[in-house]
Amino acid sequence: MRDFLQILLVGIGDGAVYAMLGLGLVVIYRSTGLLNFAQGEMAMFSTFIVWTMWSLGLPMWLAILGGMAGGFCVGALVHQVAVRPVGDPHEKPLAVVIVTIGLFLGLNGAAQLIWGTLDRSMPPLFGRGQVTVFGVAVAWQKIGAVIVLGVMVLLFYLLFQHTKLGLAMRAVASNSESASLVGIPVPRLLMLGWGLAAAVGTVAGVFIAPNLGLGTNLMQLTLIFGFAAITLGGFDSLVGAVVGGFVVGALSSVMPRYITIFEKMPLAPAFILILAVLLFRPEGLFGKKQVTRV
Amino acid sequence: MSATATTGASAHRSPGDWALKVAPWVVLFVILAIVPFQFPSFRVEQFCFWMTLAIAACGLNLLTGYNGQISVGHGALFGIGAYTTGILITEFGVPLFGATVASAVLCFATGILIGLPALRIKGLYLALVTLAVATLFPLLLEQFSAITGGSGGLQITSPQLYRGEMRERPIRLESPVAGLENDQWKYFVFLGITVVIFILSRNLIKSRVGRSLVAVRDNEVAAESSGIPVSQVKIVTFGLSAAIAGIGGSLFALDQGQLYPSSFTIVLSIYILVAVVVGGAASIIGPAIGAVFYGLFSDVIVQQMPDRIQPARAVILGVLLILLMLLAPGGIVGGFRTLQAKWSARRSSALNSGPDPIV
Amino acid sequence: MKKTSVQVSAALLLGFALIGGACGGRDDSSSSESTETTASDSTEAAFIDPAADCTDYKGTQGVTGDTIKIGTVRPESGSYAIYDNVTKGLEAYFKSANAAGGLPAADGKKYQVELIKKNDEYDPAKTPALVKQLVEEDGVFALVGNIGTETNKSVRDYLNENCVPNIALATGSTQWGDANAYPWYISGLPSYATEANAWISYLEEVNPTAKIALLYQDDDFGQSYKAAIEKAIEGTKITLVGEEGFNPLAGSTTEASVAKLSQSGADTFIVGVGGTACPLTLSFVPTTWTPMTMISVTCASKTALALAGGKDEGVYMAQPTLDPADPADQTNPKVVEFATQGAAAGLDEAQIQGGIASVGWGFGSMFALGLKNATTVDRAAVMNALYSLKDTTFGLIRDEVTVNTDGAKDPWAIEGFRIVQRENGAWVEKAPVTNEEGKSNSFAGQ
Repeated sequence: MRDFLQILLVGIGDGAVYAMLGLGLVVIYRSTGLLNFAQGEMAMFSTFIVWTMWSLGLPMWLAILGGMAGGFCVGALVHQVAVRPVGDPHEKPLAVVIVTIGLFLGLNGAAQLIWGTLDRSMPPLFGRGQVTVFGVAVAWQKIGAVIVLGVMVLLFYLLFQHTKLGLAMRAVASNSESASLVGIPVPRLLMLGWGLAAAVGTVAGVFIAPNLGLGTNLMQLTLIFGFAAITLGGFDSLVGAVVGGFVVGALSSVMPRYITIFEKMPLAPAFILILAVLLFRPEGLFGKKQVTRV
Repeated sequence: MSATATTGASAHRSPGDWALKVAPWVVLFVILAIVPFQFPSFRVEQFCFWMTLAIAACGLNLLTGYNGQISVGHGALFGIGAYTTGILITEFGVPLFGATVASAVLCFATGILIGLPALRIKGLYLALVTLAVATLFPLLLEQFSAITGGSGGLQITSPQLYRGEMRERPIRLESPVAGLENDQWKYFVFLGITVVIFILSRNLIKSRVGRSLVAVRDNEVAAESSGIPVSQVKIVTFGLSAAIAGIGGSLFALDQGQLYPSSFTIVLSIYILVAVVVGGAASIIGPAIGAVFYGLFSDVIVQQMPDRIQPARAVILGVLLILLMLLAPGGIVGGFRTLQAKWSARRSSALNSGPDPIV
Repeated sequence: MKKTSVQVSAALLLGFALIGGACGGRDDSSSSESTETTASDSTEAAFIDPAADCTDYKGTQGVTGDTIKIGTVRPESGSYAIYDNVTKGLEAYFKSANAAGGLPAADGKKYQVELIKKNDEYDPAKTPALVKQLVEEDGVFALVGNIGTETNKSVRDYLNENCVPNIALATGSTQWGDANAYPWYISGLPSYATEANAWISYLEEVNPTAKIALLYQDDDFGQSYKAAIEKAIEGTKITLVGEEGFNPLAGSTTEASVAKLSQSGADTFIVGVGGTACPLTLSFVPTTWTPMTMISVTCASKTALALAGGKDEGVYMAQPTLDPADPADQTNPKVVEFATQGAAAGLDEAQIQGGIASVGWGFGSMFALGLKNATTVDRAAVMNALYSLKDTTFGLIRDEVTVNTDGAKDPWAIEGFRIVQRENGAWVEKAPVTNEEGKSNSFAGQ
């Protein structure tokens, strides 16, 4: 029982990070209606920005803010230059998939060009310390991840529910045509959404990098966990991303330890989730039902 | 001569035009025939690899280009073909190309299986699922390392006479033609298979079945109401596409003689997709052009660059993909067609406006 | 229509193949510059006899005038790029030797080394094309210091069939013990099985009823440890109470595995993983679990342990070489030579102290030893020299470690370890070097 708890706690901590990545994916899905396959690479890129600032001697929290700002610019730029000109993702899905894959390759290559190919090491934000609760050791880093996630969700809630900007963004998400009719600057808000998503990804990267090592392949598998989280939670639901993140984190930590067939595939439970949810409940746990346009 | 060649539709069948149409193919075939004699054997093996990629891209093109179902996971099907071939040869002593046929059949069945959920999961969501499949596939190979060899690789061997005794040795395609070395023989066998597959898929696209593929892509509801069995068409297309990708994978196995999970990561799936898009989705020859373009780019040009700036390869590919989508969604073939159309429009307008045609 | 177009193009293809064959010839540039030699004229029956074993033997390919072309394949990018430092050390060795006039050979000449590097990203799927390019296009004499087990395995048949030496493999997989079948390969590291055996021998001494929790990398490297440990504890009171495989490609950390092992009741923790996953594993050990921890030699460099977040204090390892970062070793002439000449050849302080470049330096020195001992400058002669080393040393091998090889009977050069414990960034000796001459292959488990 205690070993189960110990492993479950590892999974909950990982889940918080998947949820952070998921939040970014949800924000982009809500604003532009697309699944951003380059989200992981955007997060990797801005995590490298954090690393650069930190290794230049800035305190970690300042480096993270800098990285988020950098990530915001990358996200906004990417939207303006590549995503917006392609058009509606549900009318031209192939073109959009190709563009996000192009971004994936481009950002990955650019990071390798700028920062080289050696894995960098980054210190954990909350140190390597642990606390013992009921005989089970929990790393401060894990507790920190859950708290930071909580703060992020709160900020998003305040933004979307209690600010004019958030209201406008929600209007764009629900119907961009009528939003632009009432004078909301739709393209600028979409750009904002992309920037925001990339900034959020930075935080996910900052939590993953100390354990996986900061390399350009930091996010390639983690992204699938993030997608599993939002598929389960519902592509357009922030709460869903959080719940989904925890479920995916717990499953992918526990199942490989107890079920032989998953031993070398922590990704498999996430994949099964994606497939099952899309087949039987495409709107996920908390999402709105999609009406397919003909 | 110039006057007859440009005076309208009847001139199309004139021997001069026919020669113009055939000439590029003749040139292409001559080049393809000379190539293996001009390069060392490791290069020829690389050319064989490009052909396997072209075959897989041809399969993906049927599905994505003509039928509108997006797959970012064809690398996994390619991998299933490769591993089926490897295991059948090594464990069961199946003859080399017999294993290719079996791989195609198995991949067809797998394609059908994937095609079923794809009826419900469409567009971006299908891309997500296939992306997850592509990411999961190498891990599956690790999980079932008892059959696949895992990260230690699968050595494809057959019992051969070596130093006077029968031993398990790496497979090889022994050249039966004097004067052709083994790798050159392999090249021509592969080239033959590649050409046949491209011709067969061309014939398929030009047939009634092919037209229904396109009709389903363009508008499912309209296709349904004009009597096309949409579901069957989509499922069978998935099966066919998977079978062709499986043949590509099978040839890859025969080319390499050993298989590692690292060959079948998401990167492979992306490159197959790149070959389709760069060459030109929904054009027959496009995927082949894309595959050769990709091969030249990554195996020859990039290798010449200093190590430090080699990651530029990914940047160039990424930017190229985005530019293609924004400026020339038809890829190389599409761009060429547009140019051709512009040129013939200019030519006909020149004909109408004045007596001095540009030829 | 369908059939005919297929038939026509098949016929065309065949026709063109014949035309192509007639009008173009393959230039065989690599063989033109090499002279065919029949056999090395050694007096004893040599281990390798190219006249009997090689069909198209090119014994001096890559040797022109007083230059020798050497190839090496390593990960310059990708997650294992940290091992690129091995190649930096190798390069520094050759640079330093070139500056000093070249590597001496038996023919009295000194040879300048031209090193051609290829980047395979530690990916065995990429290695064959690059190695073939090195052999067929660049025309190298030999490969030295190739990094990785699977990568080296992927070209083993090719190199042995073509009689191309692959010297000082940067891997200790037990597979390299099969010198009978693959005489053109010789490892530059001790066998992983011998290392595992050293751990268990020490445990038998200090904790004969040890309960081991094993974390192993689930590939040839980690499985070598696992199999050797299982074999070594047979007939002892030591038991394996928990084991977890780690797949470095699965996109997860070892954290959950460590969490499970921490609850297994073990008093000994063996970390059979490499790369950055190894020091991170140490950092994941919960404070509620305080086992005696043994780490792989591949993890023991200063560079790697810096990532352990301080949890490297107190860990044990089996150590065959000198550590340039260990104050106790820094006065050793081998370390002094490496530090001064390496710095002159362009290695920076971090690389010199890092403990990875010094391994590559050793590989260069192993090749130099082979060239010096060879009867002639010839591929087979160099291999035969390396397979008949007598009480010698090279690189940064500890002085107490004896280096002997004897063909297939004893293909391992380094077979001695001492046991050390980490204290304040240095290593404290816990058990002196035990040389297991000629026994390495017997330690390999199944």
